Amino acid sequence: MATACCTPLSTERRSANALVVALAGNPNVGKSTLFNRLTGSAVETANYPGMTVGLNVAAATWAGQEVQLIDLPGTYALDPVSEDQWVARHGLLDWQPDVVIAVVDATNLARNLYLVLQIVDLGPRVVIALNLIDEAHRQSLRIDPRALSQALGLPVIPTVARRGEGLDELVATAAAVATGSDGLGRGRAVRYSERIEAQVADLEAQLADSPRAVPEGLPPRAAALALLEGDDELTAAFEPGSAIVASAERATLAVSIAAARHAAAAAVAEACTEGQAAAPAADRYWAATTSPITGVPILLAVLASVFAFLFFVGGWLSRLLTSLWGATASPVLASAVHSLFGYGALAGTLLWGLDGGILAALAVGIPYILTFYFVLALLEDSGYMNAAAFLADRVMHLFGLHGRAVIPLMAAAGCNVPAIMGTRVLSTKRERTIACTLVVLVPCSARTAVILGSVSLFVGWQWALFVFGVLGLVGLVAGVLLNRILPGEPEGLVMEMFPFRRPSLRLVAVKTWKRFGTFLWAAAPIMLIGSFALGALYETGLIWHLEWPLHPVVVGWLGLPAVAGLTLLLGVLRKELALQMLVVFAVARYGSRAYNLRTFMTPHQIVVYALVASILVPCVATIAMLGHELGWRRAATISAGTVATALVIGGAISHLLPLM
Amino acid sequence: MAVRSESREEYLEAIFKLTQQPEGATVGRVADELGLAAPSVSQMVARLAAEGLVERDQASHVLLTKEGRREALRLVRRHRLSERFLTDYLDLPWDQVHDEACKFEHVLSDEVEERLAAHLGNPQTCPHGRAIPTPDGDLPEEHARPLAELSAGQKSTISFVSDEQPELLRYLSSLGLLPQTAVAVEDVAPFGGPLLVRVGRARYALGREVAGKIFVQA
Repeated sequence: MATACCTPLSTERRSANALVVALAGNPNVGKSTLFNRLTGSAVETANYPGMTVGLNVAAATWAGQEVQLIDLPGTYALDPVSEDQWVARHGLLDWQPDVVIAVVDATNLARNLYLVLQIVDLGPRVVIALNLIDEAHRQSLRIDPRALSQALGLPVIPTVARRGEGLDELVATAAAVATGSDGLGRGRAVRYSERIEAQVADLEAQLADSPRAVPEGLPPRAAALALLEGDDELTAAFEPGSAIVASAERATLAVSIAAARHAAAAAVAEACTEGQAAAPAADRYWAATTSPITGVPILLAVLASVFAFLFFVGGWLSRLLTSLWGATASPVLASAVHSLFGYGALAGTLLWGLDGGILAALAVGIPYILTFYFVLALLEDSGYMNAAAFLADRVMHLFGLHGRAVIPLMAAAGCNVPAIMGTRVLSTKRERTIACTLVVLVPCSARTAVILGSVSLFVGWQWALFVFGVLGLVGLVAGVLLNRILPGEPEGLVMEMFPFRRPSLRLVAVKTWKRFGTFLWAAAPIMLIGSFALGALYETGLIWHLEWPLHPVVVGWLGLPAVAGLTLLLGVLRKELALQMLVVFAVARYGSRAYNLRTFMTPHQIVVYALVASILVPCVATIAMLGHELGWRRAATISAGTVATALVIGGAISHLLPLM
Repeated sequence: MAVRSESREEYLEAIFKLTQQPEGATVGRVADELGLAAPSVSQMVARLAAEGLVERDQASHVLLTKEGRREALRLVRRHRLSERFLTDYLDLPWDQVHDEACKFEHVLSDEVEERLAAHLGNPQTCPHGRAIPTPDGDLPEEHARPLAELSAGQKSTISFVSDEQPELLRYLSSLGLLPQTAVAVEDVAPFGGPLLVRVGRARYALGREVAGKIFVQA
């Protein structure tokens, strides 16, 4: 489907003839499903500078009318107190949509209407998509859309976004409201208590007299309410000490207004709903995922399955693809390149890039990344992700992370690349930086293969366990240290727990493919370029010249043979390449018996080698993904950090082991 | 009776507040509470002891005497009545009245206190849901404790949300975690992890630190 690319946001993007339609709603009410159903064409993600939460914008055509559809982040409210709410609020204010489609969850009407009432207070035209109406029926909740429409003064269309039901009517109504000139879709604003209303009226009057225009084009009542609710940004737009700021500050009624709005929402919901909700059977089973006695074993089983799935199924697929590629594409590419460029260094370099590079992208991309994104989407859409986060939260807190980090960290043992993208489930940059660093320190399947293929095979399994133990310790210390060093505080956890929803395969597939696209565009090209570069080093023989500069570190400090240093360098392309090239180089240098590492390395050297290879710089694909997700500076810092750690740990072990 | 002074009253209030907590009041904790240096606190505690308002036990805890407790409770009463007045009559939000009430409480005479209580309709609780002591210096059972103390299966009603972090307070209020809202703890994650709380038709996972700032009726 779409390619995600980030563009800085400006309101100029609003095109002249198109209707601008915004989708707003709480998280997990089917808003994105609706968005995908209504658009389907290329989606752009627009980011506000410094914000990790973006707005999805897509074009559509409704009955010949051009439409720009904006998917606001799912939020419970529009107060600028959290990043997602800030973006949702600015999305509404900056884009000035002709109509807002407020998607509400019919099974939790009261809480959902709070946001609707807040949007109505802001002033745009609103149409309500009463979504998940089928879920509500299943829970024996009957909601009268006409009563709801009358109570709110807004058109209400029942929908089942998953199946596309009610969408035609929704689109027609939204278009009619957007182009209609009367009060259609203006809604009935909440009348607050007399005291609040008196203050609103007072502020409104002052705003009308003020020489300065109301910022952000807000209607006076909306601006007055926002000021009373303690909106810092709006307050900042007026001169400090001015009468308006002073009277707003004297009476910040944020909580009272919130309480009144909740009460109004609850009253409307109650008046339009018949029947007491009966928890469906699925919900009762679902409760087992959060109850500690059953939940912890379930969590461990899920984590073990994710790990096993990536490690074994991913590994098997990877080997299968590699041998398929070797049997089919490789010979074709080789003969093509050789016939065009002969057998020189150029041909060799090209083959490294075309043959090795594409294979690397393929052997990582499909088996590990595609499969993990699929599993991740499944866990998210079913609602299990939050249950896992709930149970794992305390442990993750050690590292200043939320419980949600447990899934990407576990996935990292399969492959770091998708795990880094998986850290998007975390909300702050601080958390994501910590999580990404930890992900990079988790030995992926390729590094595990290096450890098993060297230490386990030539030294003994106990020593392989020792290596894993050291790696675990490094990760633990790194996490605890980062939590202390990085500025900022870990945020308190406030997370909604969603009921079980059967994931729609179509939506899971769409989500998987979207994320896979990011890998294809961000990481795959860099893997190819890296392959060409390393290939050129190797084919031209330049790599042998690096032996000397590396000598003091590799031989002097780490106590490894000089060739080992070169292979550590090549391991940056693909981690398992480190071991493969070690054998190749050793055979070139020491003769054919060197396929056995013990002929030229001591057991201690093999242990140190495996440790350094595992900690040292993540592979190119991982670095590329880090750069894409955290920015190049942080990616470089994390990579440099791993080099330093690898040298310190490797050197220390190399000097300590002989003493033991 | 000794001359009423604001700082003396602050001391009595702080000592009272700390004696309500399991760790009790020590000179160090009183100093932390009031943001003063330990030596000056020590001096003042000695003066209060001379007046017969406090005494020290072997573990060097500061305890209120019967007289001291009565005076402290009268201050608590004035503080909480002031808060009631500020919310009910001046329409200040309940998350902001605490500081204002700290100033109010010291200027009320016995007579004004009495009239204020009558005017407010002799309220039982402050806007945060905490009990107001009677004029005779009796404190009815405390009615609020942190949500974090509830165990799985327990239900209660939110009394108030601490105002230490206004942004968190606002976020929680937008979710509907407001005073007078019924909450039920469904599960508690192991190792002191978060609580799973049902509010209306929604369920939220609240971290310990967050749940510690939400107070519910005991």
